[in-house]
Amino acid sequence: MKKYFMPILVAAAAALLAFSAGSAQAADPVKIGVMAPVTGAWASEGQDMVRVIEILAQEINDAGGVNGAPVVVEVADDGGKPNTAGLAAQKLVSAGVVAVVGTYGSSVTEASQSIYDEAGVLQIATGSTSIRLTEAGYQLFFRTCPRDDEQGRVLAAQVQALGFKRAAIVHDNTSYAKGLADEARAIFKTNGVEEVFFDAITPGDRDFTASLTKIKAAEPDVVVFTGYYPEAALLLRQKRDMNWGAPMIGGDATNNTALVEIAGAEAAAGYYFVSPPALADMPSEAAAKLRAAYQAKHGGQPSSVWSVLAGDAFNVLIKAVEAVGPDASKMGEWLKTELKDYAGLSGPIAFDAQGDRRGEVYRLYRVDAQGAFVLQ
Amino acid sequence: MEFFIQQLTNGLAVGGIYALIALGYTMVYGVMKLINFAHGELFALGAYVGYSLLVTFDLAGALGPAAAIGLTIVMVLGLVGLAGHLLERAAYRPLRHSDRLAAVVSALGASIFLQNAIMLKWGARHRAYGADLLPNVTVHFAGQSYPLIRLLVFLAAVLVMTALYAFIHRTRLGLAIRAAAIDQGAAKLMGIDVRSVIAVVFVIGPALGGLAGLLVGLYYGQIDFSMGQLYGLKAFTAAIIGGIGNIPGAMVGGLLLGLVEALGAAYVSVAWKDALAFVVLIMILVVRPTGLLPERVAEKL
Amino acid sequence: MNGAARDSGLAGEASGLSRLAWLAGAALFLSLPSLFKAVGLSSGAYWLDVLNNVGLYTVLALSLNVILGLAGMFHMGHAAFFAVGAYVTAILNLNAGWSIFAAMPVAGLAAGLFAAAVAWPIIHLRGDYLLIVTIGIVEIIRIALTNDIFGLTGGPNGLVGIARPSLFGLKISRPQHFFYLIWLMVGATMLLFHWLENSRFGRALKFIKADAVAAEGMGVNVTRYKLMAFVVGAAWAGMAGTIFAARLRTISPESFNFGESVTLFTIVILGGSGSQRGALLGSFLVMGLPELFRGFQDKRLLVFGAALVIMMIFRPEGLLPPKAAKYALPEPWAGRHGPGGPGGPEEGAWPGGPGTGPGQADGSGRDEADGSGRDEADGRPAATGAEGSRAAPGGPSPFADGPA
Repeated sequence: MKKYFMPILVAAAAALLAFSAGSAQAADPVKIGVMAPVTGAWASEGQDMVRVIEILAQEINDAGGVNGAPVVVEVADDGGKPNTAGLAAQKLVSAGVVAVVGTYGSSVTEASQSIYDEAGVLQIATGSTSIRLTEAGYQLFFRTCPRDDEQGRVLAAQVQALGFKRAAIVHDNTSYAKGLADEARAIFKTNGVEEVFFDAITPGDRDFTASLTKIKAAEPDVVVFTGYYPEAALLLRQKRDMNWGAPMIGGDATNNTALVEIAGAEAAAGYYFVSPPALADMPSEAAAKLRAAYQAKHGGQPSSVWSVLAGDAFNVLIKAVEAVGPDASKMGEWLKTELKDYAGLSGPIAFDAQGDRRGEVYRLYRVDAQGAFVLQ
Repeated sequence: MEFFIQQLTNGLAVGGIYALIALGYTMVYGVMKLINFAHGELFALGAYVGYSLLVTFDLAGALGPAAAIGLTIVMVLGLVGLAGHLLERAAYRPLRHSDRLAAVVSALGASIFLQNAIMLKWGARHRAYGADLLPNVTVHFAGQSYPLIRLLVFLAAVLVMTALYAFIHRTRLGLAIRAAAIDQGAAKLMGIDVRSVIAVVFVIGPALGGLAGLLVGLYYGQIDFSMGQLYGLKAFTAAIIGGIGNIPGAMVGGLLLGLVEALGAAYVSVAWKDALAFVVLIMILVVRPTGLLPERVAEKL
Repeated sequence: MNGAARDSGLAGEASGLSRLAWLAGAALFLSLPSLFKAVGLSSGAYWLDVLNNVGLYTVLALSLNVILGLAGMFHMGHAAFFAVGAYVTAILNLNAGWSIFAAMPVAGLAAGLFAAAVAWPIIHLRGDYLLIVTIGIVEIIRIALTNDIFGLTGGPNGLVGIARPSLFGLKISRPQHFFYLIWLMVGATMLLFHWLENSRFGRALKFIKADAVAAEGMGVNVTRYKLMAFVVGAAWAGMAGTIFAARLRTISPESFNFGESVTLFTIVILGGSGSQRGALLGSFLVMGLPELFRGFQDKRLLVFGAALVIMMIFRPEGLLPPKAAKYALPEPWAGRHGPGGPGGPEEGAWPGGPGTGPGQADGSGRDEADGSGRDEADGRPAATGAEGSRAAPGGPSPFADGPA
């Protein structure tokens, strides 16, 4: 083995060079990166993000590109894990992208922020709602999704408005759900809703009967669940099975049609959640077009709103390139100062000085007896 | 008290499922001394095969619920058993005479492969069995009400365990399996075809895992491609608690693990229940280094 | 004289030529950053970062190798020690303003102490039972970190804003800086562990792995050496955790789950248990292949899983198994050493112990003899039963493990 070591090493280095030389050609096209969890636990979200953006990019290229230049989408899989996010980010930076859309998880985004920042690449996160992402002072960081504190505020306000007095808060110890639960908890201290239970279930578990039995014993009149739809659906279903009628209210991560498929319409009926409007409820013309294109290409609809927000991020990036050319810092400036009420898929889009999205996006939904999500 | 009893039954229901998956681990381990890390994925495969039959092909619509579920059980047992057999031939048989850890890594590779194969075949989204597949019947017993399916799942676990135990101890093939478990070399000398024994074990174990997957799908109604990881780890823990290689041990371990989780969630903290389960595991092993029902060589399986 | 002849790891037989090749290879490797720059490779930073990842995992794999490869203990919870190091670093840096390099030894110490505390009650467990317990430990750690234990770990969000390390006024921030830092650590680790492997400590571990009963009988304190292996491996993983924290600048519990432990375990076994070169190659494959497979998009892990199975089937002992240790047999046999040979005195401790090359290499010592010693084939070189024949002659010793 030893005597082959040198040649192998040289060959490996050469292969390395050759392999990467392919992506080294810089040319006219506008390169936009997409960092998304294409594999791993959030693969469905990531794959939807890629699909939506590919549809939008196709439309732009069919219409002659942006300022005459074609748009090239570079996808990097972050696996939904912070460890691999760094590599995905380096990959995109190396590919010479001017801006990046993504990603879904907050901790994953966080692990990539400093890399994009140091490389001068503009980043628009699409599902990362953790507050501190925009508090870190990165000039080129934006997001099209709202923040946990806004959602927490809306959620807590709705719980009060619906007349509930004793709330059991359940999260799942992901940074998203914990953040939301903490926000809601803080507001309950001031708005007269009593917190009677606060604990975390384990995501991926399927049996929550033990947790539900314990929650029930605390006698809440509403269960506030801040986690994701697979667990929310099981909670609803098992709550029904134990003949416990207390209503449940959740956050935007439960805005997924699979919730009703899993729980069944009967158990899901009466469930409330706050969320940006789903693609189906987006009145914009662009949204209708996306619905049709997605249906034609992949069948069905994107299962959640996050991939649509990724589409929005992609669209505003294209607008920025159109306005000031593919220069990340000029684009960042433009997005903060010039972009006013752009008609995005999910409604008007503008950013504040921190890169957070302006305006109210949350709506209250309720599941009706047929299992449809009804905007209240 | 009512709270306690309720939690007790909660724990037993979860434990029954752990036990059922653990049976597959323990059987394979008994004969091959191999931790089949892909067992969790075979469990998930069972859930997805059931999904295809019951939801995509809507067997229940064609045959009526009882016949559909009966047929699905048979198909899941057969198909996942076949998958297990193929897995053994492809990933484990070439390594039978190699180092044990080589087989462990091969199993880990097979597990990654299978999990991603399931994702590519059925998609990354969570799949729903549909809530109206089974009639929603509740049984009242001692002042509590239980969903019927929950009792059935538990009953199935006990039934399978008993049948397996009887099979191992009352049939000639079972005798061969026990012999191979104790000493493959000696079993060969006694004219036992150890290779076929292993093949049989590698059909039964995965098939039982697949059955557990189907039951989880029916019971909870929700499946996803990575579900095998969590259940696999839990069931492995259960098998070890009971003493791996020991069939009643798998049952005891599974039920105990379920109880620890439920009572831990009830009386300590929901968020810490899994950590608590591992603490209990460690304490048991510190006191009894080979599990609760340790392998007595003469009655290994 | 014994020193040279015992050589079994890094440099193989000590021929001048191979040393030269190694040096040349290392020099070429270390010049990669400038090479990338010279040819104007635009993705250079990305590939350097891939190599950094490989390097970090090499350090971790080498530290796991002490426990899993040398001592033969089935340990699948290495991420726990890695996590302790990373979190101690982050906490010291964020709360007490310690510099990264000042925190590094403390991180190592903390991980080592933690390992000693948790390994002590479980050290006697047999193979698969130890395996699940170490998995349990990594899960307990992850859950504790997620639940913000002691109010220090930041819960599921983890800790953010960890400082970049700086060395002699140079701030280490870009991939090429980390490249040198990490790969110098790889080199240092290899040299240290190579020395360790051939020290009294290392030979005791190999002896224990080959046959714990015989080792005990020869007066080796098996429990103590096993514990020491755990502590050494854990301390080193803790220091790797420091680098990890400083490189990503943010750490969260998800980074230290059971899956990470499995990855490390895979690297060591795939490369060849007990082999340093194996750990290096294993890291390149396990961390590098998924990157090369990016072209397969959502199929890349599928391909990777299949590749793992295939590689194990074709190289069951690992890709680069350790060479069978060669020990000079002093003649006459009874304990006479080369006059003034280095390390002479320690040889005397094990007459006929690990010294009998073939005896060690295929001794079917598959039992750690913790009371279950009913296995007939207990480590007697002659008894190679059905199971015992697994070890190819001259290959690595079978794992000192395996319940009957």
